[in-house]
Amino acid sequence: MSTNIEHFELSGRKAMVIGVENPAGAAIARAYAEAGADVALCVLKADDAVMTAKRIQKEIEAQGSQSGVYVMDVTLGRNVQVTTRQVAKELGGLDIVASCPDLFLGKPIGKTTDAELLQVMTHNFNSQFYVARSAAGELAKNEAGGNLILVSHILGERGTRNTAAYGAAHAATQSLVRSLAQELGASQISVNGISLGWMDWMDDRIDPDVEDAGRAVRFSIMKRAGEAEEVGPMAVWLSGSAVGYVSGQVFTIDGGLLQHL
Amino acid sequence: MLETLQLDGKAAVVTGAGRGLGKAMSKALAQAGADLVCAARTAKQVEGTAGEIREAGGKAIAVPTDVTDSAQVNALVAACVAEYGKIDIMVANAGIGDPVGPFEFWEYPDDAFDKTLAVNLKGTFYSGRAATKAMVEQGEGGVLINVASGTALRGNQNFAYPTAKGGVISLTKSEATMLWRHNIRANVIVPGFVSQAPPASSEEAEIRKNRGLFVPVGRLGEWWELGPLAVFLASDASRYVTGESFIIDGGGLAGGVGPVNFAPEHELDG
Repeated sequence: MSTNIEHFELSGRKAMVIGVENPAGAAIARAYAEAGADVALCVLKADDAVMTAKRIQKEIEAQGSQSGVYVMDVTLGRNVQVTTRQVAKELGGLDIVASCPDLFLGKPIGKTTDAELLQVMTHNFNSQFYVARSAAGELAKNEAGGNLILVSHILGERGTRNTAAYGAAHAATQSLVRSLAQELGASQISVNGISLGWMDWMDDRIDPDVEDAGRAVRFSIMKRAGEAEEVGPMAVWLSGSAVGYVSGQVFTIDGGLLQHL
Repeated sequence: MLETLQLDGKAAVVTGAGRGLGKAMSKALAQAGADLVCAARTAKQVEGTAGEIREAGGKAIAVPTDVTDSAQVNALVAACVAEYGKIDIMVANAGIGDPVGPFEFWEYPDDAFDKTLAVNLKGTFYSGRAATKAMVEQGEGGVLINVASGTALRGNQNFAYPTAKGGVISLTKSEATMLWRHNIRANVIVPGFVSQAPPASSEEAEIRKNRGLFVPVGRLGEWWELGPLAVFLASDASRYVTGESFIIDGGGLAGGVGPVNFAPEHELDG
């Protein structure tokens, strides 16, 4: 009986990655393609991100997989729905949806405005809700269901100063993973989360010029920041038959940051 | 509402009651009205705790006990029943840190691991088992309060103690699951960095002050702060609460993603 490597094979599966301008999103898209999936690349804004996505599209197509670039405003549920349907139509179905919108705000609560809170919640959490809602509709059309992966941040589980709004939004996303695993389980849709630690591209919170930020990075067991390529393999695991009986869990990629005293 | 915290007429056993947190919890339970059996290995210390409670007008006896010996633990519970006619509350607090070390992980010796588990984990099991046997025979329910450690929730260099305390947290949940039918509740207190007694010198006070800077609230916890929590968990004020872990750590375990005061500053992009 075959039990191993082939479970990480995604050939013939149709994937959609939201937020490929985010290095985590780009890494997931590339990993999906490498595993054989067709991959729709969604960027959140019609700016330089489109060029980034087009470069990834060329790489993917060169590997023989189908790809496409879409601009999706994740702050609007209707826009997410329309784009998701369009992707499913153009790819000829949808089996896997991975989403990693990320907008950081580092500010004391007293200085955080209503508008900023709304923007942080909308961009980091509402977006994931919209994606999950649209994805659930498409994946439920498959007899074999599908896989939904929401990428989040460890600040959704643990606090530090200035991260009240951002942490709350990511905590909400992690809660969404647990709820939807229950709700969508009967449709054979697995829902899991990836919670990122201090990653090397996160200059917004790990400012290389700030001494404490360096200490925070060295606070991880592995004493270094994470790299984008380290996100792809977990996303592949969570997106194929390898995921098996796993659902409703949020897994950290943080070099052991949360696990030691 | 506050009357639900009263422990008048309740009989309580506290292990590790000779000093530190066990002594503080013993005195708090006595202040709330409970009659105490104070247990610890060192007779002189545990006599001291019982003596202080009696001087303050409470009831207390001292029973020197090694919790790694189940016969002694059974005798401890029997002593409580003999003295007060029953047992209502068991605070399984006795514990020891890693007795040796630090070692490289692969060098850690058998006897040190066995001893750490014997006191911290087996002792807690023996205490719960002896107490609940008596409680079930009495037929009026009861309360188990175990004491773990915040170190159990994170990896550490000295790992035998945290490993045993992790077992205590798990044990508590099983006790809660198996004993609710008998109206016995089980909860576990999980202290973070908590001082055991007032500082003995100004140097020690300074060390504590500096260590306190690594805690979100800016100070170490103090022994007496375990008292109100123990009273709450021992009393009817927590009658629907079971199987739960009560972390008391000044906010430390809620954080831990970098330096304590790490505060990234960043405006929204775009």
